[in-house]
Parts: sequence; C-alpha cells; structure tokens
Amino acid sequence: MTSEAVVNRSAPSFPGTGALNLQRAFSQVIILLIVLVQVYPLVWILLTALRPAQEFAAGNPFAIPSVITLENFERAFAQGNLGHYLLNSAIVTLAADALIVVLGMMAAYAIQVLGFKYSRLVLGFFIVGIVVPAHVTLVPLFLNYRNLGLLNSYWSIIVPLVGFSLPMAVYLFQSFYSYIPRELYDAATVDGAGPYRTFFSITVPMSVNTVVTVVFVNTIFIWNDFIFANTFVLDKDMKTVPLGLQSYMGAMGSIDWTATFAAVCVTITPLLLALLVLNRAIIYGIQGGATKG
Amino acid sequence: MKLALVAALATLLAASSALAQSPAIPPAGEIVPREITWLASRPSDGPVLSTVRAIADEYAAQHPGFKLDIVETPDRPSYLQKLETLAAARQLPEFFDTDATPFADKLRQQGLMVDTAALLESYGLTDQFRPVALNYDRFGDGSLYLIPLEFGMEVFWYNKAMFEAAGVAPPSTLDDLPALCPKLAATGVLPLALDGVDGWPPQRMIAWYPFRLSGGDYLDKLKKGEAKLSDPIGVKTTEWLASFASNGCLAKDFSAQGYTDARDQFTQGKAAIYYMGTWETDAMINEASQAEAVRGNIDYFTLPLTPDAQTGANEFFVNSGIGMAVGSGTFDPLVYDFVKYMLTRYSELYANTGALSPMTYTPEKLPNDAPLYAKIVGEIPKLGSLYAVPWDTQLDPKSNTVMQQQLTLLLQGNITAEQFQQTVDAAIAENAPRFFN
Amino acid sequence: MLSYRSRIAVLVFLTPPLLAYVVAVVLPIFQSLYLSLFEWDGIFDPVFVGLGNYVKMFTADPSFWGSLGRSLVYVAVTLVFQLGVALLIANLLTYATRGREVIKTLVVLPAIVSTVAIALLFRRLYSFDPPGLINQLLDFVGLEVLTRAWLSDLGTVLTAVSVPEGWRFFGIYMLILYGGLLAVPRDLEEAAKLDGATEWQVFRYVRFPYLRPVWITTTIMATTNALRGFDIPYLLTNGGPGESSELLTTYMYKTAFAHTQFGYASALSVAIVVECLIAVGLILFMVRKRGFTV
Repeated sequence: MTSEAVVNRSAPSFPGTGALNLQRAFSQVIILLIVLVQVYPLVWILLTALRPAQEFAAGNPFAIPSVITLENFERAFAQGNLGHYLLNSAIVTLAADALIVVLGMMAAYAIQVLGFKYSRLVLGFFIVGIVVPAHVTLVPLFLNYRNLGLLNSYWSIIVPLVGFSLPMAVYLFQSFYSYIPRELYDAATVDGAGPYRTFFSITVPMSVNTVVTVVFVNTIFIWNDFIFANTFVLDKDMKTVPLGLQSYMGAMGSIDWTATFAAVCVTITPLLLALLVLNRAIIYGIQGGATKG
Repeated sequence: MKLALVAALATLLAASSALAQSPAIPPAGEIVPREITWLASRPSDGPVLSTVRAIADEYAAQHPGFKLDIVETPDRPSYLQKLETLAAARQLPEFFDTDATPFADKLRQQGLMVDTAALLESYGLTDQFRPVALNYDRFGDGSLYLIPLEFGMEVFWYNKAMFEAAGVAPPSTLDDLPALCPKLAATGVLPLALDGVDGWPPQRMIAWYPFRLSGGDYLDKLKKGEAKLSDPIGVKTTEWLASFASNGCLAKDFSAQGYTDARDQFTQGKAAIYYMGTWETDAMINEASQAEAVRGNIDYFTLPLTPDAQTGANEFFVNSGIGMAVGSGTFDPLVYDFVKYMLTRYSELYANTGALSPMTYTPEKLPNDAPLYAKIVGEIPKLGSLYAVPWDTQLDPKSNTVMQQQLTLLLQGNITAEQFQQTVDAAIAENAPRFFN
Repeated sequence: MLSYRSRIAVLVFLTPPLLAYVVAVVLPIFQSLYLSLFEWDGIFDPVFVGLGNYVKMFTADPSFWGSLGRSLVYVAVTLVFQLGVALLIANLLTYATRGREVIKTLVVLPAIVSTVAIALLFRRLYSFDPPGLINQLLDFVGLEVLTRAWLSDLGTVLTAVSVPEGWRFFGIYMLILYGGLLAVPRDLEEAAKLDGATEWQVFRYVRFPYLRPVWITTTIMATTNALRGFDIPYLLTNGGPGESSELLTTYMYKTAFAHTQFGYASALSVAIVVECLIAVGLILFMVRKRGFTV
C-alpha cells in the first residue's frame, strides 16, 4: 500500500509482434514530443534571463542568445530584495502547507474513518468550498481581518490560503481513506487502540502519498498567490515573491522583462530543487495520491 | 454560530456610515513623530519615489521616530484593487495615489481626502506649481484634493529616417495621420506602434479629434450622457478611427502587445511612429538601448490640428501623472509639517533627476545634455492654457470598460463606426447616471 | 460506524478544520451572498435592492451570458488537455520501455513556473509580427494560410487563452491517471489479450472500468479548477479583444474592482459557485446513471 507497492507494479511489458513494435515506436515519438513541449518553457525562461536586454527587445525571442550575460541577474538583485521575498514566501508556504495537511487529515479522519450521523453532509459542506472563487470574498475578508486585528501579518495571507485549499485536501484525504481496509482498523481496535492512537499509528503513516500530492499542488498555488498578499499586506517587509516580481515594473507599466525573468529563475529555483531532490517521493505521491497509497 | 453570522454581517456594512469631517488646516497641536504610510502606484526606483525617500530620510534625521513607509504597487489594476478595498474598510493611510476619477470624487464627498488647494495655500506654495499641473488634478467643479508630483507632455515620437524613406513629412492635420500609413507600410515598416493590452493608449486616440474640435466640451457632455457618439463630432471621430484599420496603420496583433512591446517596436527600428508621454524621454535619448538604425533618428511632433480647430498647436495632452492624496482620517500636525517639508525640498531635488517637474523650478544647468531633451524642456514655456484630459479618468468606470473594449474592435476593423457609436452610447446612457447625478 | 469512535474524538478532529474553513471561506461567502442583495460602490452606504442584481444578471446583461458561454468553452479546451491528452499519454507511458522515470519528472515542470512567466511566454509564442514560434512553425511546414494573430483574431483568441491553462497542469493529471492505470490487474489484461482483444478493447473494457474512481476525481479537480480559471486570461488578454476572451471570473473581477459594483459582483460570484455546483452534480449524475458507484 505504500509507494513501494506501486513501484513493484510498474513496467508492464508486452511480448512484441511487428505491429506492436511499430506502435511502441510511435508511442516513444509522441512521448518525446510531449516532453519537449513541457520542458521547453523552462529552457526559454533561462535563455531569456541570460540574454542581453536589448537583444530581447530587438531580436527573435526564440533564437539562441548571441551573448550570455549575467547583467539581468545583477539588476534583478539590485532592484528587488529577492532573498527577502523568498524568505517570506517560504514562511507562508511552509506554514500554510503544514496547516492544510494537518487540518485536512483531521477532517477526513473524522468524516471517513470515525464517521458520525451527518458525516456525508459535513463532507458535502467542505466540498462546496472547492468551487468558491476567492476574488469577491476579498472585501468581506478584509473587513473581517480588520476586526480581528489580523491585517498586515503572515496570518492574513496564510488563513485564506488554508481555507481555500482545505476543501480539496479534505476531499483527497477522504477519498484515499475510503480505500484503507476496515480490517486494519478493526485489528487496531482489538489491540485496544483508541481513536487518537489509531490516527497516529495507522492513518497518518499511510497518508504519505496523499500528503505529497496535497503539498505539491498547494505549494504551486501558494507560491503563485498574488491576490491575498496584495490585498491583506501593506508592510513591504512582508512582500512575497509574486509581489516582488513587480519591482521590475517602470513608469506607466513598462517592464524590464529580462530582469523579471532573471528573478523568475531565482524564485523558481527552490521549487525546482525540491522537485528534483524529492523527485521519487513527489512523482509516486501524485501517482498514488488520488487513489491508493 | 447564527449569532456570530449576524454580527459579522452587521460589521460588514457598518464600515460605510458617517461622513468624516474635513480637518482644519493647519491642524492644531504638537508635532509627534511616528511612522506614516504612502500607498503609491509608481515605479519603485523611479524619480518620484527616489526623491521622496531621500527627503523622508532628511526629515527623519531631524525628527527621530519619524518614518515614511512607501508601499508601491506599480501595476495599476492591482493598485486600484488594493485602494478600493482599503477605502471600503475605511483604512486609507496618510497618503495614497489616485487620479481625479469619479471614484476619487466619491472619496472626497465622504470627506476622506484633505483639501490640497487650502493646504498648498497655507504653505504659500501654490504659485510654485505649474497651473497646468494643478488643473489636471482638479475635479470637475474646480476643487483640488490631490498634489501633482510629475509632469508630462504626450507627443508623437517618430523615426526621421523612415519618414524620409517613405517620402512623407510629419502630418499637419489629424486627417493626414492615417493617410501616412499606406506609404510607410509600403516601405516595410509598421506605421504606428500601439500598446493595446492596456486600455488607455488606444483611448488617447479617440480623444484627439474631439479635443481639436471642441476643447473639453464634448467630453464633459458625453460622459454625462448629454452628448452622444452619434453626434457630428462623435461620427467624425469614429469614422476617422475606423480609417486606421482600413489604412493598415496598426500591427495586426496590437491588441496583444503590451506597453514594453510597443515601445520596443519603435526603439528597435520596426515602427515609424510611437505616441507616448515625455516620461519615455530616457528611452528616446538613451542610444545604447536602441537599434543602430534608430540612433540619432528620433524626433517628435505634437498633436496635429484640424482645419477648424478650437484649440491651438501648443495645446495637447499635458498631465501631471497620478496625484498624491492626503488622507483626512490620519491628518495631524506631523503630516501637515512633513508635506510642507517634502514639497519645499521636492522642487529642486526632483528637477535635478532630469524628470520634467510639476513645479516651476528649473535647474540652471540642464541635468541632461541631449539635444532632444533640451527641445522637450523648451516646449514647456510655450504651452497654451488648455490641455486634453484622458478619457479613462473622466468616464464612469463601466462605460469606460465598454468603450475600451469596443475601441479595440473598431481599430481592428471588426466593427463599424456605427456599431461602435451604438454600443458605447447605450453603455453611457445606462451607467453614467449612477456617477453624475 | 466503528466501535472505537467517540463523540468527543469526532469533535476533537473535526472542530479545528471546520473552524478554519468557516472563518476563511464560509463566512465570507454568506457575507457575499448578503452583499449581492445590495448595490454598493464601496464608498457610500449600500442600497438594498433585493433580488435586483439577479434579475439584471439574468435578463438585462448580455455580458453575463456571453461570459458564461465562454467559460464553458474554456473548461472544454482545458479538459481536452488535462483529461484527454493526459489519459492518452498516461496510456502510452505504460507501454514505454525506457526513460519512464525521467519523463514523469519532466511533464510536471510547467506547474512550477510563475503565472507571469507563462503569460509572457505564450504572448510571444502566439505573436504574429514578429512571427512567434507557432506562426514560424506553420510557415515552416507550408501552412502559411493558417498563420494568424492568435490573440487578436476573434475566432481563435478564446481557445488561445485556454490552452496554457490546460497545458500547465496537464502533467499532474497525467501522473494521477497513470497511477490509476498501474492499479489495473495485469493478469486481466493478459487474459483479455489471449482472448484476442485489441489494444482499444483492452483499454475500454479492462483498463477504463478500473480507472473510473480516479477518473472521477481528476474530472472534478480539473473541471472546478478550470471553472475558476482566472489569471492566465487576465494577464494574457484581460478578456479582449472586445469581450471575446472574457470569462465569468474575469468579468466578475472587473465588475468588482474596475467598475466598483461590489453588490453586482457578489451576485456574479454566487452565479459562479452555483455553476460549479451544477457541474460537479452533473459529473456525479452521469457517473451514477451509467451504473457505476463512486
């Protein structure tokens, strides 16, 4: 039931006939094409960040740069406080992810494993939240946070991010928990485990893949969030990355694109590193996260 | 749960209640240094914010405990979203940026802004500002609740070499302008670079003809629904705009080209004409950022006339950029004193950055020795008394959106002038009464 | 109902998430619902108009219906990528012999790229003059007739703004579906093949029934995400030219923050919530109708 099980199940290979070989070659070509389409943008961003500003303005933006320059990175660091933006984004992302995972598991556990009279209704209540667009709740949220004294703090970004991410997390955890065989819990009960010990000894350890999926999907959403940070935070020491990327905007909306792309390169590096280092865990997590561990 | 909900609903709408009283100028009491905030929509390393930051540092040195926190959001739509949310919650800071829009007028009516005409008068600084700069920031009734910090003239930058190659000269009438396009296009260049992603640059084009034919009259009536686009001036204007599409003046995909794209098309030698304010002077005189064929070939002409023009050749789009408002809720002796200090120092420091100043102070030696820069500075004393105003700050916001959307379609040749007139007239008839009653 | 549960345990586990959710999401929704009964510019006192905003929305606002229709097209295009192409590639991947692990990592890469960067990239890809990569490629393979200003042409702009959204998260959905395919018992497939089933029949009658629960989850995730899609169209065209790429979400945002009609915008957001609920309901209904349990 863990990722090991999934690994062992992979790589079905079929005895080949001529037609199948052709089909396999065709598959390889299609897959290669898809990979090209998926990887290309990152390469393009990196090339743009290394391209002289004037060449970006004048030349074919898809050509290989004639000169490689680090000037864009110099400007990116000089005009924006990149380290600070990254730190703020990291604080917000880690805190929000942790809360989403813990709260999501708790709710799903109560709904799916413990169960109670209106559990389906409560689940439905959470799931409705999947479909709520965040934008028009901004004014009420702002007024509420003002009344609670939450404005201008990390919490004012974290709370709405957690709230709006929670429904999908609850849904994913719940649908995963429905695959855990009842016998496991029954056995634990026989051993005298109460609801709390069962949660920590069975449910939490088995949720790893779903946790990875939830964290990965939400990290992308949180790392990119502009609207909450822009609305609820005035203090510039608390600017997150998406707000910081505006530092390269000049009068009337002119934008220093090559510096922006240098900054984009810097700011996606932590995510890229996480993806590469935790590669297997993430890939198998997403692969198994929506169904079974 | 039910109680909490009701309570929360009540507080939601309680925010907008009593009218705030306009504060006394000057406010009574001691100066107590504290941290104050400016919600700005200007580039973070631009001349305005750099200058004010330097001034605030000086002031802080004299007043320990003082700090000016500048929160800049250069992207205008994101900025307005933030400003509107803060205004709805009555959390406007000491300073915030806005144009003299119908929305700002509502803030004024609610007593949320300090009367800056009285403020400047009490400082004795009114006559240090260029009258045009102050007038641009006034509301329709002539009152002033903003402080101008910038100054710009909008001109047609053009590429002399391209004009020569096509055998054309700068247009002397507005009708000559679209007529240039086929000749320029025949030489393989884009006649007119235009930022169509943002709504305002195309909207400048619809303002040109009415300004020449009526000054500000037509717009004043149009925005209230008292004049129509199907009136003679509107018909003349919209048919003239349609000719930009039929003459191939614009890039086929101008609607997807941003501000920087359009400017680059001009400075990189792909487009012959680029209509933009003097805030882009740097890009025009900084040859290092230009394509080789463009260097030394940039000049400008001002808004062409019409045969029966009511406004002069020295009258066109002149503005003082987005203004700075002083919030009335937090207005106290400290804010009063700081603004005085800031404006007193601003005129000299700002002018020396090379940017055109809303104040009359001119440095003895120009901060830039490019001939084009000198030519632009020399334009200021010759300016007339009338100036054209951007339509997007005048129309009610919903009608403005409709006009901007339809304008793109008109300039792309997707709709006719008549269709444009009908749709926009209907939008104004529906939405203007909400704002101009 | 299990014996180890207790009323207190349920409360302990349920209260904190429920509280967070109510404070951050549910309460503001009710406030929005309440606000949708008013005309409010954010400055002056709100004016109670009852159901006036809804009446206007349904009877007197062609922009609403137009945006609604375009939102559905947006969803359709997005789903072609996130469900259609994703399922196809996930299937192909099970046949791949080499490089499977690398491929799985590479396909999720676009998901981590900032929205701002994606918008700019696509603006360049679609560009007409100077020709962007798409028009360059069409030119290269001799299809000059198809080259066009993708983001300015009224016929193509809606699809053009939908594609990036579909493309961007396609990898995640593909991985989830691939995980589902791995769960299909191999011996069943082998048996079907021995009986002479074609690859398509194996997929249709063996693989897909097993995939169904995962398929439903991904359909709901992808559909609701697409219905809420906002930032790419907003950054790429801001709904233009005209209204030809205006979605319900961008229209709502404009109504609130450009037109300062907060009451009407709240009514629009209620419409989006209802629209999403109907979509999820329809998905579940179709699933049930075809005789499968979720």
